[in-house]
Amino acid sequence: MLFNSYSFIFLFLPLVLLGYFALGRRSQLAPVVWLALASLVFYAFGGWQFVLLLLLSIAFNYGVGYLLIVPKLGSRARLAVLTTGVAGDLVVLGIFKYAGFFAANLNALFSAGLIVNIVLPVGISFYTFTQIAFLVDAYRGNVARYALPHYALFVTYFPHLIAGPILHHKDMIPQFERAETKRPDPHLILCGLIIFAIGLFKKTCLADGIQPLVAQAFGPTTPTFDQAWIGVLAYTFQLYFDFSGYSDMAIGISLMFGIFLPLNFNSPYKAVSIVDFWRRWHMTLSQFLRDYLYIPLGGNRHGRVLRYVNLMITMLLGGLWHGAAWTFVAWGTLHGVYLCINHAWSNFGPKAPPRFARLTATAGVALTFLAAVIGWVFFRAPDITTAFAVLSKMADPTNIAFGRVEMMYALFVAIYAALAWFAPNTQEIMGYDHEKRSVGENLRTRRMRPLFLYAATAVLAFGILGIQQHSEFIYFRF
Amino acid sequence: MSAASKNLWRFLFATTAIILLAAVLNFVVDPLQLFRPARLFPAMYSPSSRMQGAGLIRSQDFDTVSMGTSVAIYFRPSDVDRVLGVRSIKLSMNGSNSHEQSFVLAAAMERRPKRVIWQMDDWIFRNAPEIDSGIYLPADLYRRNAKGVATYLFSGAMARESLWILARAIPPLEPIVARFTNGLMFKFPVSRVDDINTRRPDFDVAGFYNAKSALADFRQLIDPARSSSIAEGYNYDAMVRNFERDAVALIASNPDVTFDIYLAPYSILQFVAMRDASPSTLKITYDFTAYAFPRLLQFPNVRLHDFRDVKDVTHDLGNYSDVIHHSPVIDLKVLSWLADRQYVVDPAAPLASLERLKAQVEAYRVEQP
Repeated sequence: MLFNSYSFIFLFLPLVLLGYFALGRRSQLAPVVWLALASLVFYAFGGWQFVLLLLLSIAFNYGVGYLLIVPKLGSRARLAVLTTGVAGDLVVLGIFKYAGFFAANLNALFSAGLIVNIVLPVGISFYTFTQIAFLVDAYRGNVARYALPHYALFVTYFPHLIAGPILHHKDMIPQFERAETKRPDPHLILCGLIIFAIGLFKKTCLADGIQPLVAQAFGPTTPTFDQAWIGVLAYTFQLYFDFSGYSDMAIGISLMFGIFLPLNFNSPYKAVSIVDFWRRWHMTLSQFLRDYLYIPLGGNRHGRVLRYVNLMITMLLGGLWHGAAWTFVAWGTLHGVYLCINHAWSNFGPKAPPRFARLTATAGVALTFLAAVIGWVFFRAPDITTAFAVLSKMADPTNIAFGRVEMMYALFVAIYAALAWFAPNTQEIMGYDHEKRSVGENLRTRRMRPLFLYAATAVLAFGILGIQQHSEFIYFRF
Repeated sequence: MSAASKNLWRFLFATTAIILLAAVLNFVVDPLQLFRPARLFPAMYSPSSRMQGAGLIRSQDFDTVSMGTSVAIYFRPSDVDRVLGVRSIKLSMNGSNSHEQSFVLAAAMERRPKRVIWQMDDWIFRNAPEIDSGIYLPADLYRRNAKGVATYLFSGAMARESLWILARAIPPLEPIVARFTNGLMFKFPVSRVDDINTRRPDFDVAGFYNAKSALADFRQLIDPARSSSIAEGYNYDAMVRNFERDAVALIASNPDVTFDIYLAPYSILQFVAMRDASPSTLKITYDFTAYAFPRLLQFPNVRLHDFRDVKDVTHDLGNYSDVIHHSPVIDLKVLSWLADRQYVVDPAAPLASLERLKAQVEAYRVEQP
């Protein structure tokens, strides 16, 4: 089921909200069970055949976690249990996500004739990562014993299940346990609705609106210089508004249940460096990769060279996490290179005088944006050959069309760029603070301005009116 | 009630009001003319034929329907009417498969036309999935069920078009709005039904349709790196199943309607490309014809025309922009052939034209650059 569908907005969400708060009057556990069951129903709409896999994954990880938390095992046994748990998760992920890729490469190398046709279960990358984090923390002794319904809800919680944000058990399960979240709070519901509205607008009006322009670069015909740039920039903004729109919607929906989800985007195209970019783009994935891959690899604790090696490994695997294709490996590797250059520049490059700070920041934003745009070519292209073909067109200003169509499209792209660079982001508009568990305090303390309220209603109305059939989120594929 | 609760209710009511307002606007202006022919506001049409067809069926007076793929999309209904002495609408859709075509024709049958002019080929029967599994054809608009009507009324994109059409109806604004009306910004830029998906008078026909373009497309097709696309989806059994479901069933269930079915004059290069790069596909094409022609001729309400062996046209590569798409000049010839019944397949020798085509394909040699 899609967030941007009538059935979700007018049927599923109101029913689940009503059930949750109705049960919350009588019990603390019943609303948690209700929400977990509703999440499974939500998941079943996207692929009912994988519900069993999801349940098995929850049971397996909860069992492994139990062994790590409760019984007094020796350190070797604990390590063996952790290894089994993580390996089990990775094997399942590997089979469903990477077996086809592996077979295709074997076929290419050795003409092996392997045929692997496995459908990718929706959200498997997300729920596998959240549970690996749980196991690692359980091994580290950072996990209290959780009740099974709360754990199951943590994994299945429908606002995040399909495409994140990647949640952390320490952040979520205590919120599920709180009594206050089971009582409806009109302020949180209203703020949640407004955040949901912004996300829906980003998806249905902005991302879906610019999507046809992407074919300028990635369509069947060979693009000219300007068409290639228009198409690639269109994809750059489509991806941002699509995924950040989804994340806003997830945060907004969750807020209606009184649960604060972590932020996933913070105006990434305003980043002044690639390091800054990764603190603003898909923030929960960056945090996961940092805490559970980069730091365990050694991080920056073993000298500069190893730091760069660790960065490259982390980003390469981060790329591969997005999809089983060489284009994602190339994208991850490219960002690994970017990060190494960024760190090297910070360590060895000249420092700009303070009076040029503004100019340096502007140049940093432009360079970072350009680097990200080049990266998105690999991310979007169906194969490496196409990616290089598009890049070669972007680097060939001798072949320009720039007719009426291209001028109009360039204007569209400029409007999107202005939104991404100069407009405040959702958390700035709403005063959303995940750490402090606060949102819309200005709206609460002062009487809500009618203009703001009615502008928000227009955003929701346009978002709903903009719903097109079959418009999936790009990150559903990962 | 707390201030937050009041704001929440205000928010919900105002959102509902805006959405209802958009629906009322769409109902009143009715850009697709789904509920009534345009009277209050100027009629505007969309080149998106899959969507526009639903409105044309409802809003136009017709006794003849023309159907086909991109090969038959540039006909002017006024030319069809003049040459064939009918009153027609054009429902051809770019890249459409047999199931889409049959579904749209079935919707048009509710208006009881007398005649269908159907451009058919083997290609449309290759891959014809269930109507609701596709995302391009708004099937519920044709069905006019609650979902289709709701999707139409509660569409923001349609509300934008309604506003635009509304603005165009205001005399002082009309010239400015007309000037900015183009297919880039608005989905309904065409002001005459006859102009939907036609070549503009100033279109450079010679620049677009010429031997160089046709040969370039041919070479691309037979390029070993891409030639597998020729065979894509060609499966004889599946094609026959789709043919029976989509063509035969529709013809059989409408015995009072005359079906003028024609196979367009593709350039000879189309078949030569199959011959050179995928002989098995050419065999399926021949076999399919050998099955379909006698089967169609079993129906008294079918007139079958095969233009694939009209050598004067198919061997003159200057008529083509690629290996199949011919110029508007050939469109007019097709109409005159249909009117004269010049290439009607003889039920006594249903495969004669196929045998001529086979001989032409066998004998043809592509000129080297």
